[in-house]
Amino acid sequence: MSVPGSLAVTRVECAKLAAQLKTHLVLAACVISPFAFAAAMRVQSSLPEDTLFGRCVKESGFAVPLVVLGFAALWVFPALSSVVGGDLFSAEDRYGTWTTLLTRSRCRSEVFAGKVLTAMGFSALTVAALAASSVAAGVLIVGPQPLVDLSGTLLPSAQALNRIALAWASVLPPALAFTALAVLLSVATRSSAAGIGLPVVAGLTMQLYAFVDGPELIRRLLITSAFGAWHGLLAEPPFYGPLISGMAVSTAYLLVCLLIAYGMLRRRDISR
Amino acid sequence: MRARSVACVSAGERPALEALAVAKRFGNRQVLSGVDLIAQSGRLHGLLGPNGAGKTTLMRVLLGLVRRDSGTVRLLGCGVNPTNGSLPDGVAGFVETPAFYPYLSGRRNLALLAHLDRHDGAVRRPGAGHVLEQVGLSGHAEIAVAHYSAGMRQRLGLAAALLRSPRLLFLDEPTNSLDPAGARDVRAVARRLVHEGAAVVWSSHDMAEVEELCATLTIINRGCVIFAGTVDELQKLAPASVHSLRTSDDRAALSLAAQRQGPHVKVAPARDGGLEVSAATDALDAYVIALGCAGVAVRVLERRTRSLESLFLELTGSAGRREALGPASRADSSGRQAAPVVS
Repeated sequence: MSVPGSLAVTRVECAKLAAQLKTHLVLAACVISPFAFAAAMRVQSSLPEDTLFGRCVKESGFAVPLVVLGFAALWVFPALSSVVGGDLFSAEDRYGTWTTLLTRSRCRSEVFAGKVLTAMGFSALTVAALAASSVAAGVLIVGPQPLVDLSGTLLPSAQALNRIALAWASVLPPALAFTALAVLLSVATRSSAAGIGLPVVAGLTMQLYAFVDGPELIRRLLITSAFGAWHGLLAEPPFYGPLISGMAVSTAYLLVCLLIAYGMLRRRDISR
Repeated sequence: MRARSVACVSAGERPALEALAVAKRFGNRQVLSGVDLIAQSGRLHGLLGPNGAGKTTLMRVLLGLVRRDSGTVRLLGCGVNPTNGSLPDGVAGFVETPAFYPYLSGRRNLALLAHLDRHDGAVRRPGAGHVLEQVGLSGHAEIAVAHYSAGMRQRLGLAAALLRSPRLLFLDEPTNSLDPAGARDVRAVARRLVHEGAAVVWSSHDMAEVEELCATLTIINRGCVIFAGTVDELQKLAPASVHSLRTSDDRAALSLAAQRQGPHVKVAPARDGGLEVSAATDALDAYVIALGCAGVAVRVLERRTRSLESLFLELTGSAGRREALGPASRADSSGRQAAPVVS
């Protein structure tokens, strides 16, 4: 396997994604949705008070990206993370193009690495687009007022922006772990419906476990726990324990899923 | 971080393709049993066998799509890793109907595939436009592949293979889905590549097509090689051609055949009336002259099976099955009407 070979596959996969309407629609939704949410909050009288920072969405524009972040953790991140990762491999089965792809100069390792890189890159791009759009929507529609954090401390605009950036960055590892799960399901089932749909179902099931009075250890071992780790960043003083354990769990999921998927692709006979 | 997936040695006088004792099993089914396939540069090599003989699986093994259980494969002198190998430069081909990304145009598909090919700078690669022109798709280059017919996809598959400047080209039933003009063009491209020194492995279940194109051939059946050699060598093994004969006096014609000395002529009443004559060309000529001398008029004499086709059917055990299928099944996939088989 070579790095240039994997990057060549990534370039080809990016070109294929750029030619698909699905890609443009997902990115457009990431950019537009926060603006629509912020505009709706501004005109309506009630507030999403049962959500963290929901009470503040009319007082500080910096609350908007945090409300969006809290909501997205429920099912949006699993969906965004798997929309490409869950389809990138199974699409080759759907179109019957494995034989075309694997009769060029790139070995399976390079094809796998290139595709995974593309899927991970797209997931990171959607998270970044949603974050940037949420911040922009909050600041432009509500305003850049200081933000009251979870401990009641008033954070000046610049500091609030820093914490928000860190909070959004903290959901990247679990988002990428979901992408790896989607890749595994896409390779294993050869079905895009399973590759995209099952990670969302898995995400919702893990969220439901939070309501069950089960062992704490299991709750900590779920990817979705890492989606809430950013709460510690908006406390005074900040605490990082959940963030570190969330990153460790996400990394473990990511590595295990990718190793199994790679093994399956490598051993697979392309006989159809 | 670079690991070689292919181990190349100097090609020298080595065959372009050297596959030895290749075996493959899917579950309980042994699909390939110790198959040898050797193809020399500058030759068109036919890979022949009935449907289900293992041709496509063998092609997939050779192209690295299916892992072989045992055996060795050398492509252009390079040993191919059976689990993670990339195709060596200069090796190209397709199996069954080539598939492409339907939402991209033919040209865009080729441009992306070209990105996946290694460019060592030593060989000047043809561009997408050039190969599209070679296969007669220039006028459809900007149309999304979703709107291509099966024949156009077949041509695009050939164009994708030509992008790699092949010195060893695998074509799996490449004239399937093509109209007669398309099939002629594909044969012309294959002949040109061979003329330029490439080895072409042409898989088909059509004996007549292989006989017309190929100098050497390998026939496989049920995963085993049952013949490997030149077409001339196969000709020597071929049984006499079978002809349908109608005369003014069939009884006298039968009697004359029984009395004749010299080259062997086998005459028997046909099921549908008239006679069936099995004889080599010289013997048949002598027999027809003898009929005339005996006052028996020859009203109809037509060839019912080609000799190589007879041998192919005999070797692959398809004769009885094919006869049982009846006349409706005798048009092969290229639209050519196969001759009736006589038991």
